[in-house]
Amino acid sequence: MRFIKIIASLCLLITVISCQEKVDYSNVITDGTYLSNAQNRITEVIIHDIFSPPVAARIYSYSSLAAYEVAAAADPNYVSLLGQLNGSEKTTFNPSEKVYLPLASLAAYYYVGTGLIFSEDMMNEHRDAAYAELKEKGIPEDVFEASIAFGKEVGDAIKAYSSKDNYHQSRSFPKYTVTGEFGTWEPTPPAYMEAIEPHWNKIRTFVLDSAAQFKPLAPPPFSIEPGSEFYNAAKQVYDAAVNAGTEQKEIALFWDCNPYKMNVKGHVMFAEKKITPGGHWMSIASIASKAAGKDWKGTAETFALTGIALNEAFISCWDEKYRSNLIRPETYINQYIDEEWVPLLQTPPFPEHTSGHSVASSAAGYTLGQLFGDEFHLVDSSEVAYGLPVREYNSFSQAYKEAAISRFYGGIHYMPAIDYGVSQGLSIGEFIWKNISTKPERLAEAK
Amino acid sequence: MRIKSLGLLVLACAFFSCEKETEQATKLFELLPSEQTGINFENNLTSTPEFNILEYLYFYNGGGVAAGDINNDGLIDLYFTGNQVSNKLYLNKGDFKFEDITDKAGVTGENGWSTGVTMADVNGDGLLDIYVSQVGDYKSIKGKNRLYINQGDETFLDLASEYGLDFVGFSTQAVFFDYDRDGDLDMYLLNHSVKSPEVFSKASTRQTPDEKGDKLFKNLAAEGENRFEDVTVESGIYSSILGFGLGVGVADFNSDEWPDIYVSNDFTENDYLYINQQNGTFLESLEDKIANTSRYSMGNDLADLNGDGMPEIFTTDMLPENPEIWMKSVGEDKSEVYQIKKQFGYNDQYVRNHLQVNLGNGDFSELALFAGVSASDWSWSPLIFDMDNDGLSDIHVTNGIVKRPNDLDFIQYSQEVDPNSSMEQLRKTQIDMLPTVKLSNYAFQNTGELKFTNKASAWGLDQPSYSNGSTYADLDNDGDLDLILNNLNQPAFVYKNHSEKSGNNFHSVTLENQAFNQFGIGSKVTVFSGDQLFSQYVGNSRGFQSAVSPELVFGLGNSEKIDSVWVEWPEGEKEVFLDLKTNSKVTLEKGRGKAFVTSSTQNSKEEKFPSIDWMHEEKTEVDEVKREYLIPRSFSVLGPALAVADVNSDGLEDVYLGGAKDQPGVLYLQKSSGEFEAVSNPIFQQLAKAEDVVAEFADFNQDGLMDLIVGSGGNEYDPGNLFLFDRIYFGKGNGQFQFIPNALPPIGENTSTIAIHDVDGDGGLDLFLGASVVAGDYGASPKSSLLINLGNGQFRDETSDWMGTEGNLGMINSAVWADLDGDSIEELILTGDWQPIRVFKLTSDNRLKETSIPGLERSAGWIQSLKIADINGDGRPDILTGNLGENSKLKASYENPLWLYHADFDGNGQADPLIFHYMENKLVPFATRDDLIKQIPGIKKLHGSYADYSRISKPEELFPSPALNAANKYPVFELRSGVYFQQENGSFVFEPFPSSVQWSPVMDMYWDDNQKTLHLAGNFSGFRVDLGKTNSLPFQSWNYQGGSWKKINLNSDIPNQSEIRRIRPISVSGGNYLLAAPNSSVPYWVKIP
Repeated sequence: MRFIKIIASLCLLITVISCQEKVDYSNVITDGTYLSNAQNRITEVIIHDIFSPPVAARIYSYSSLAAYEVAAAADPNYVSLLGQLNGSEKTTFNPSEKVYLPLASLAAYYYVGTGLIFSEDMMNEHRDAAYAELKEKGIPEDVFEASIAFGKEVGDAIKAYSSKDNYHQSRSFPKYTVTGEFGTWEPTPPAYMEAIEPHWNKIRTFVLDSAAQFKPLAPPPFSIEPGSEFYNAAKQVYDAAVNAGTEQKEIALFWDCNPYKMNVKGHVMFAEKKITPGGHWMSIASIASKAAGKDWKGTAETFALTGIALNEAFISCWDEKYRSNLIRPETYINQYIDEEWVPLLQTPPFPEHTSGHSVASSAAGYTLGQLFGDEFHLVDSSEVAYGLPVREYNSFSQAYKEAAISRFYGGIHYMPAIDYGVSQGLSIGEFIWKNISTKPERLAEAK
Repeated sequence: MRIKSLGLLVLACAFFSCEKETEQATKLFELLPSEQTGINFENNLTSTPEFNILEYLYFYNGGGVAAGDINNDGLIDLYFTGNQVSNKLYLNKGDFKFEDITDKAGVTGENGWSTGVTMADVNGDGLLDIYVSQVGDYKSIKGKNRLYINQGDETFLDLASEYGLDFVGFSTQAVFFDYDRDGDLDMYLLNHSVKSPEVFSKASTRQTPDEKGDKLFKNLAAEGENRFEDVTVESGIYSSILGFGLGVGVADFNSDEWPDIYVSNDFTENDYLYINQQNGTFLESLEDKIANTSRYSMGNDLADLNGDGMPEIFTTDMLPENPEIWMKSVGEDKSEVYQIKKQFGYNDQYVRNHLQVNLGNGDFSELALFAGVSASDWSWSPLIFDMDNDGLSDIHVTNGIVKRPNDLDFIQYSQEVDPNSSMEQLRKTQIDMLPTVKLSNYAFQNTGELKFTNKASAWGLDQPSYSNGSTYADLDNDGDLDLILNNLNQPAFVYKNHSEKSGNNFHSVTLENQAFNQFGIGSKVTVFSGDQLFSQYVGNSRGFQSAVSPELVFGLGNSEKIDSVWVEWPEGEKEVFLDLKTNSKVTLEKGRGKAFVTSSTQNSKEEKFPSIDWMHEEKTEVDEVKREYLIPRSFSVLGPALAVADVNSDGLEDVYLGGAKDQPGVLYLQKSSGEFEAVSNPIFQQLAKAEDVVAEFADFNQDGLMDLIVGSGGNEYDPGNLFLFDRIYFGKGNGQFQFIPNALPPIGENTSTIAIHDVDGDGGLDLFLGASVVAGDYGASPKSSLLINLGNGQFRDETSDWMGTEGNLGMINSAVWADLDGDSIEELILTGDWQPIRVFKLTSDNRLKETSIPGLERSAGWIQSLKIADINGDGRPDILTGNLGENSKLKASYENPLWLYHADFDGNGQADPLIFHYMENKLVPFATRDDLIKQIPGIKKLHGSYADYSRISKPEELFPSPALNAANKYPVFELRSGVYFQQENGSFVFEPFPSSVQWSPVMDMYWDDNQKTLHLAGNFSGFRVDLGKTNSLPFQSWNYQGGSWKKINLNSDIPNQSEIRRIRPISVSGGNYLLAAPNSSVPYWVKIP
């Protein structure tokens, strides 16, 4: 079937080429629609392949960086990030006259993204459909080829850069060992999965000097004494769950962003999969770019900076998670408050402190606020495809604050993980914004 | 022309009918059509939005079937239970014709969701009553348990509430038995919880009774009342929400003549083994007597399979046999989840059928993998009976689930979110998407020595079905057991047994007991013929939700004569009946036989063993799986070290025991009293950090005093680590030792074996130190070493000078020096994991050259222990190997070897050990897709789904060839322990040890040349979860005489499941003993001649 489609579009293409030798194709891609669609597909593949939130952030960041580097090569109003990012070298790309840069940018995105996921067929299918559509719109064959080739050239540079971030080596690092010490994290029902990515702090950061640069405040000292600070924090989660109103539940479910929720009914088990927190914020980046009328370069810039913020947030947050190794509310409450209690959201498989969603959302939200201005009418439809409603916000900060508190409503985090997590994320966002730039004028200022 | 074609037609017809006839004649079982039998019961089930697999976890568990002669006309009748259809009672009219009398009899089940059924004479009037279990008052389901009391006129009255047995809840099955031996039948009611089994509770929760839990009811008939009393709490029966009871059986496990109970539980909860305390209470004793059980235990059956008169336990689970289904189905718990369950207090459980073989004293060895009965897919009802009357009991297993929830693609990839569907639509889609596979049931034929072969097809029992409950009964009184199965969405199967055509003999026994238990439930009947005995227990509930009739049919094979039949009546009396004929049906009446009293077989003389006040304390902190996800077994639990010698020259043998990490070794001096006294050696304390796994005494510095060498392992540290350095301690002659740190070169490997010999002939003892594993890199070769003694106990590493290599000899577990070929020069013989037996001969230019010896080419195995001895007394040394054995998922033969491919397949700096094994002629990876992805994430790219992964049939389909070609490949051909007998021409011929030696890995052996007796010890719990612990080998001694092995029983205090690492002979106070050093326990003793 696909074969026939390809033949058909090939025929069409030949006809198009032979009939209309000189088509003006410069407006075939203007805005970020193609890039956003490609990103949506990557999100679908990330879900299918079951990538965890930190790894998903890595996938988004390198793919987006590739798309952005073509934009930077296309327009002197943008500055390459290569040379600014840790471990990268300043690289000058010289696209030939023939290259249609918006297409090259898209090609770079597909190329790098596909290299980072497992289900390549799913990506290729989407790419081929997009290419066929673009060819139909009149991009000549030689231009097309040159553009793809240039996209690949930039993509190869990004791949070479990404290959040195220690990710590949980290696949063989020891799995997490449950210490069994009082107050430390234990696997949680129903799947009792092992803690994911215990060595994520060994992944190279893009901008932070180290994973521990923005070490958040430690959680309150562990205690099972009623009345202690820790007990109260757990009791607060429990009480909030017991007394939760509709609005709070809606907020919790809206921001659930659990890429792997295991449902178990007796012998029947099935995984329900949703976008990751990073996927949600990349989607917001896409929605905002469109709403603000960004062109393809501005969209690529938004994606790249949001992706970098998310990546740094997860590295920083995971560094703290395996430093404090804190017990989840579900475990604590079941052991010391109510054996039967089950949180509204399924507890994800890693230690509690700080809240990943809080750190990532505030880092990404801050970045978007810098790009678009914090006051922004955001109509967040990211979760519609997953059966959830649209939510509206008046600012990015309103959105990230809600994302953060949603974890408390969901029963999977104590308040300190949220409060300290938001501070951690904002510090990361600010630091990134100060230390790298996509704009020549700001670059001078930053350095 | 016309005639010709007619002739052809006739010929064709003749041919056809002839073939058909032959085919029928050759099959043992014949499925009778319902038109013939009149049995048209069909347990049809409809999934609805209100009630389905997501609403009720046991929606597809199906119904049961009970057999019994309800009108005492000599023909066994049948009762089927249905879930959404009426139950059915069929009256046997003879000649396989049945009449449905359900409505007339008043036993429909009243539209309840019926589960189990059993027939028993509850009120002691000599008529079988019917007890039906139901699921009651749950969501849209109404029901309660029914007790249909037989009115004697083929009608019944439900008197459950009058008798106090009208339980409402989630009942699976009941069993009637006289637990207090007061002459009436009491009832154990097996129930199941429905409370989210996926959320683990502490195992101690089982001590909290719940009103919906299992129950024990005492019959008050003997007390003169027609009712039952709930005695659950005072009886010691667990009755908690943890119980997901799917099987219950009664037997006497320990031959104390009191009925015991086995309960199989689904999910996380252990199975229960209740030992009757003879005082109205039970003691749950599973963890004391059984090493591991099925995880999702379904039905069970309890009966003798090996002809020793003691009942085995067989439980079903859901392991598929077909490699394709196996590779895409949920398997064992991931190691981390397994650990959590252990922390919650649960026993070891594995997803496979389990066969617990009774060792004669109520202890069990688990042998399902050895027996070949571990996999029969999603299984329900096991029935142990002699299907072909050949004298050996076989096992029939029903299987099948309409919707298969353990399909991994369903679990991981099925849920595509459609935001527009309602919750109800979503649920329906989910159920619709559950895959469906219809398979045949299994008929495991007992071929002797506890080995079984599936004969479902050859025996005509291979019709695909979803079969749940099952029973057997001699429906046509021809002396063999016919088979009846209750199927979902398909007519019930009634199979006629044609054993009567086989020429095999039989004997049928019906008992006539007195009082309220006229059918003699709880009697043990043993038929003696020559040196054979055939033993059965009269019961009712067996298998899954089903029950058999009280008539016993014994297959006698070609035994022509019955010497006697012993009956042990339920109340304790024993009688012997003589002059009984084969191929006859008899009724044995209590009081008509000759009474007898059995003398207690208990050995009253308790052996008093010596004692050493020491305990090996293994650390559990090293979890090798965290570091290398695919490692098949642990190397961190190989201690303790054990060495025996007279170190203070007082003529008494002394003992060194080497401790685990952080546990010092201790030298014990034997005193003339036979007591052992520890000698203070501070240096042992200082070096306690090292994990001692092997030790030997010898005089290394030639001062006439015993020195001690200790080898360290533990698989925790990288090569060269200080704590891996082996150590020599020089003896002072008084039990104290001096440590000279640089006596040995600082090598630092996981030492596994020390072989001592003066290889250069200079008078100083030299050393070969074998190493087993590189920490973090299973499959890589560690460095073994040949160390030459400079004369004073100082050693130099001369490995490369002598052996021409740096010592990378592979994974070595055992090495010895011995003169195999009789030239008075000793060879170095070594072996290990993925290693053949390798012989290095000393050449004239002082080199040890590996020599190929005919007969050892196919010896590669997982050999842990190697000994050289002339077993058959022909003057030629033979080679004994202690190998992995046969009780493992890993199987190997020359034709179908096991393979290790070792390479860094994904170039991430960590080598990956991939084990491939043959399943049904496909060479498939042993690791699950999930496990492989953890080690090699790229597998996800190569094999996008479990279905894709499951279609792999050779290594090239897992990885592209270039990657595979670069790998080191190691085969294993032989996993059985045994002897390589040396032939006249110097070649070797392998003979495996007797089959019961193959029940576990053999870790150490001792050959007593005077007594011509071999002592063996083993067991190993350090296998990865999906291999499972193998602690099924009790200590054994075998005498070699007249060309074969005879088992001998010696007095010993070694527990059956203990993991012995080393055994050494020792003389204590003039008595000869073996000292056995176990991992994580105290030293044990065996008295030897």
